[in-house]
Amino acid sequence: MDITTDRPSADVAVIGLTGELDGSNFEDVIAAGRTARDGGARRIVLDLSGLSYMGSSGLVAIHSIALLLAGKEPTSPEDGWQAIHEVSQSVGDGDPGVILVGPGASVQRVLDRSGMSELFPVHPDRAAALGAATT
Amino acid sequence: MTTATPPTLRIAAGVDALAGVRAFVREQLARVGADEETTADFVQAVDELVCNIVEHGYAGAPGSIEIAFLETPDELAFRIRDEAPPFDPTAVPEPPLHVPLRERKLGGMGVHLARSLTDGFDHRILPSGGNEVTVRKRRGTAREATDGHHDRSTER
Repeated sequence: MDITTDRPSADVAVIGLTGELDGSNFEDVIAAGRTARDGGARRIVLDLSGLSYMGSSGLVAIHSIALLLAGKEPTSPEDGWQAIHEVSQSVGDGDPGVILVGPGASVQRVLDRSGMSELFPVHPDRAAALGAATT
Repeated sequence: MTTATPPTLRIAAGVDALAGVRAFVREQLARVGADEETTADFVQAVDELVCNIVEHGYAGAPGSIEIAFLETPDELAFRIRDEAPPFDPTAVPEPPLHVPLRERKLGGMGVHLARSLTDGFDHRILPSGGNEVTVRKRRGTAREATDGHHDRSTER
């Protein structure tokens, strides 16, 4: 999986993912989110349009980045699902800080069946997401 | 199931092997002409179950995992064997879908996905120790795209 980060403005980062996101590389996505957060990003657009596969590990990555943006620290990967529980509670009523872009059918299905698409805004393309991120 | 040795992939337990597992699943299903949806469902289900074995069954310890493709006129299946301590994924409860999302405990999402995308899976402890999980789909019955869950198969 390839990860790219763009910084269209001081407080927004766009992290683009290409390939297959699974248990072997979801921590790389969290690391990219951490770097963006540490670099001043308050909102992170996660571009999923290049993903041909996303396992449930990808859900851990999304929530961990939301947790980082909320000023919290994700727990260890071994506690990944507990971390998701915590995050879903902490961000459930507020702005999760993470905006998702362009999931393909199989990725959208994972988001839907896990309930994640209710927690995070999903936009069809980067332009729409950036519009939402800068309002 | 057939008596001949089924196509089998044996891997050292590790997350780096997951891409190879998905490739094996795709290859076997392409060989029998499975449709795109069936393939996507199996790829996800097997990936989630194997990832669970790596992360929770072996919990980082070395071990091996064997994935075999089984087909009958009525169904397609993947059988996953490990030598890890006993763990029955069929006992993982369904997420309580009536509870508001933010109050819901989200553990077991991989198992939930595996369950919701297939026509059922079963588990048994192998005589030699270790676990065997078989995940099945009936042939020619496309899953409803919008249904998050369904009745679990009770067949053994």
